[in-house]
Amino acid sequence: MTTVASAEPRAGGPDERAGAQERARGVRFVPGQPDMWVFVLFEALVFTSYFTVYVIRRTQSPDLFLQSQAHLDLRVGVFNTLVLLVSSWAVARCVQAAREGSFSAALNNAYLTMLFGFVFLVSKVLEWATEIEQGFGFTTDEFFSFYYFLTAIHFLHLLIGFVVLGVAVYEIRSPARRSQELVETCATYWHTIDFFWVLIFALLYVMR
Amino acid sequence: MSAATVRAVPEMPSGSLIRKIAWHWRHDDKRELWIGWWTLVIFYNLYGLLFFLIARTQPPPPPSLAPSEIVQWFDDRHYGLLYGYAFVSIVGGATAIMNATLAYTMRRMSVSRAFAYSYLVIYALATLPGMLIMGVACTVGAMRPDRDPELMSWLYDFAFLSFEGTMGVFLIGSLVWMVAVLLDENRVFPKWFGYLNLCNALTEVVVAPAWIFKRGVFAWDGAIAWWINMAVFVTYTTVFLTLLRKMIVREDFGSGPLPELESDHALEPAGALGAAR
Repeated sequence: MTTVASAEPRAGGPDERAGAQERARGVRFVPGQPDMWVFVLFEALVFTSYFTVYVIRRTQSPDLFLQSQAHLDLRVGVFNTLVLLVSSWAVARCVQAAREGSFSAALNNAYLTMLFGFVFLVSKVLEWATEIEQGFGFTTDEFFSFYYFLTAIHFLHLLIGFVVLGVAVYEIRSPARRSQELVETCATYWHTIDFFWVLIFALLYVMR
Repeated sequence: MSAATVRAVPEMPSGSLIRKIAWHWRHDDKRELWIGWWTLVIFYNLYGLLFFLIARTQPPPPPSLAPSEIVQWFDDRHYGLLYGYAFVSIVGGATAIMNATLAYTMRRMSVSRAFAYSYLVIYALATLPGMLIMGVACTVGAMRPDRDPELMSWLYDFAFLSFEGTMGVFLIGSLVWMVAVLLDENRVFPKWFGYLNLCNALTEVVVAPAWIFKRGVFAWDGAIAWWINMAVFVTYTTVFLTLLRKMIVREDFGSGPLPELESDHALEPAGALGAAR
């Protein structure tokens, strides 16, 4: 939840205008469509259940998990995390620029978000290739099964994120559209997958 | 419409449930939709009863069982498999009514008819591996328990892999429904249900490792491949049954946006006030 002093509606239906009026009054509101927050909360529950299963299995075979974890390169995990955090920063700037009516800047920041997302995807594929080359595949042991599962399901969320960012770009590009609500909805999705990555990074690369 | 063609509809009787049902049967213009909805509710309850309690094929047994254990598994639920899947084969056709009712929601939307057609075709296919083929394989195993244990193992794997194989169908079906809901301008379902379809679709993806693993959380009986997936699916099914009921109540048989319920309008100011607080 955020408090915003002022924001002008660009386009959209009655719901969006009502939302903009609430913002103008300084009322607390949910950024973007409240509907997207159902996705955020539900996916948070699903990922929490995956993480819980991972932690339980880890406590049952701590030595195996520690030995296998040592084969991961922490620097790659840190790089992945930084890249995604910067992409989140870019999408936040995109939202801010769209709120201020600077659509050219908003568009540039949306493209920047895509660029950092793409860098993440490439670095993740390279990391997978390196691990497989060293003989650590999906079925090598339980740690690597979780490693490939969690990173792959996150990868899939990120791929969907490109479609979502495409919707944001589509909205920003034409003066006839420019729904601030949709841009914020797309940014909410992107922040969510960024947040999930931070947790995955902590569990797979850092937790000892 | 002329006065001569207006049909006089008597007031719904108060009192016994049977009289109310009779009134709905004779006078309710949403009769077919309610039949579809009740078919869905009854079918899902029957599905739970037959698969979980009578045939006892759900929750699924481990894929790592040895052939002798598999023979024992068939033996333990001999009559449950025979009677349970005999009943499944009788009620299996109800899926046609269910799928048609769900496809109707997409026909009521402002989107292309292609969504409803895709949904119908893909879920018609899902009935085969998810119910009928699995049921036939389990019945074949239970019918002659003195078969070679290797053959029983073959039937066991075939039955459960057939069931798992429907997940890709549910994945695409959920995505079709999601896109239809998000593009729809007739407000047939709330947008959050579109996003919930995405959640359901993504949990279908995680079933894929069940084709690779025989043990652990990713096997077909595992915590991730089955238990979490089933929890999401039950939530999703409960939600869509509730929303479908609400949609039928709101249905006006027009082609524009569905009218909102008066009770929802009454909630709006309170909701806004709640947000402001």
